[in-house]
Amino acid sequence: MVMAGKRRADGGGSGSGKRSRGAAGEALVPGPVSRGKWENKERVLIFSSRGIDFRARHLMQDLRKLMPHSKPDTKMDRKDKLFVINEICEMKNCNKCLYFEAKKKQDLYMWISNVPHGPSAKFLIQNVHTLDELKMTGNCLKGSRPLLSFDPTFDKEPHYSVLKELFIQIFATPHYHPKSQPFVDHVFTFTITDNRIWFRNYQIIEEDAALVEIGPRFVLNLIKIFQGSFGGPTLYENPTYQSPNMHRRILRVATASRFMEKQRMKDLQSVRKSEERLTLPKDPTHAVFDTPVSEKTSLIQLEPPVEQPRNTNRKKRLFKRQRIKLRR
Amino acid sequence: MKHRPRLQDAFAKGLLKPGLNVVEESEKQYANNVVGLKQCLEDFKQDIEWVERLDMTNGPAADIIAIAEGKSVTQERSDIDPDDDFQREMYFYRQAQATVLDALPRLQRLKIATKRPDDYFAEMAKSDQQMQKIREKMLSKKISMEKSEKAKQLRALRKYGKKVQIEVIQQRQKEKKAMMTAVKKYQKGLSDKLDFLEGDKVSSKAKNEGGEGSAARIAPQKKGLNTKRKFKNEKFGFGGKKSGLKWNTKDSHNDVSSFRSKIAHSKKSGFGKGGRKNANKRPGKRNRQKMKNKAR
Repeated sequence: MVMAGKRRADGGGSGSGKRSRGAAGEALVPGPVSRGKWENKERVLIFSSRGIDFRARHLMQDLRKLMPHSKPDTKMDRKDKLFVINEICEMKNCNKCLYFEAKKKQDLYMWISNVPHGPSAKFLIQNVHTLDELKMTGNCLKGSRPLLSFDPTFDKEPHYSVLKELFIQIFATPHYHPKSQPFVDHVFTFTITDNRIWFRNYQIIEEDAALVEIGPRFVLNLIKIFQGSFGGPTLYENPTYQSPNMHRRILRVATASRFMEKQRMKDLQSVRKSEERLTLPKDPTHAVFDTPVSEKTSLIQLEPPVEQPRNTNRKKRLFKRQRIKLRR
Repeated sequence: MKHRPRLQDAFAKGLLKPGLNVVEESEKQYANNVVGLKQCLEDFKQDIEWVERLDMTNGPAADIIAIAEGKSVTQERSDIDPDDDFQREMYFYRQAQATVLDALPRLQRLKIATKRPDDYFAEMAKSDQQMQKIREKMLSKKISMEKSEKAKQLRALRKYGKKVQIEVIQQRQKEKKAMMTAVKKYQKGLSDKLDFLEGDKVSSKAKNEGGEGSAARIAPQKKGLNTKRKFKNEKFGFGGKKSGLKWNTKDSHNDVSSFRSKIAHSKKSGFGKGGRKNANKRPGKRNRQKMKNKAR
């Protein structure tokens, strides 16, 4: 069901749908959208810090592709404080923000925030797979609106409900957005497993819910939720979160300690060997219960023993018939 | 030297017990401001219609495979092992399926299209080139799998197949030899029957019927073994050491079984040699001319 892609000349945001040519009334005909209908003015600013590696960069680009209500921006220097981002968003007239931060060229963190006053959250991103991977075989329209699917666990905890609301407001493409397509042909899933949030993107092929994965896919590990945007008091801290530095440190210490343990055992052994052995003093009461034994006379043989004649009668045993005869 | 004032105060008040007093580190408190979270949620929540958001919250759809296998259908959340990739991914898949099954009718009621018409051309998230690459990769995977399957089967058959192959080749050689001898016989005039041509048809029919053709073919060949063939079989035929054997042994010298007394004691010369051809012996020149004159 893959169509040949053709770049539409988008004339300034008026038409987001095309009349199907020639097919009279068999499929839904999305008509041209008038400007006035777009009400939900959500704009998400998606950008990153410097020092980001290729995989994270592709992830960011994929998210920009999938969300037509997003705006790109240049890389920000990490030396600046985070609340500068609020000002950047205000300049670009955005009310949400997805900020990717790369540290040590290894770890990728993501900030999501409702910019003027709202809450923000920081995550550690793991297991990133991008749209370009050949195992992701599905495809969807660029800018089509997604269905959002959440785990029931999101409603059970208050911090998860806050996150759910944030995700909905960020990832849902507004209705009648000029760059959006009128069809709903893919679904984002957010599931909570192992204290992490797993994100997947599936294409809807059939009406009976046959799905194929499009990508990208990643895992979010919540670190903290703040009351303000990129700052403010901490509302929630994840007790099961372990920073990647700590994780690496633990591994290093474990291997080191194994080696140190071996060394220590070797040293102990050498010390023990070199120590003087204690010899106990002779105990006079040790032989108290010994009873005297009469001495045996030792037999010394001066001549060789006499040779006994062998019993040769064995073979001279007669046969049965002869024996019977003899008996008679 | 500045001591901790609290410790000094406690000592002055007499609260410190004898023994070693160690400063205890308080356990790390993780912030969980439930009230604050709820307040925050209320503040920034948007009251917009469902059609703007398109969000669903649901558990996974029924696991068809598990039901088919007869396993317990009630799958608890704690059962998903995040390290078991397949189980985890199937769980996500089923969750998405449940969402789609619930949401699509709802969307259709709201008159939002979910199925794209065939002639609607628009830019896709992945370019055509990318989809082409994906298709090629899948095709190559399929082909390599098929190849490996074939190779496995061949390897399994090889042991059995070698035996069968040898038998078939031998059979073919026998047939060819029989055919050639029959043809030569006919050429030399020893037999004037053209049965060997039909022999194939008969034997092939027999093969089609019962597969006993090999036995049927072997039997007629064995009948016509003459002395020459026998001798040659013994000299060049199957099995045993022949080359270094003695020829004129005591036994072979004393063997008089090939002595025909009638032939040996007959006085007629050329009896053993040319007796056969006596009937066809050509008369001499003089007699031939006499015959010719007589005929005229």
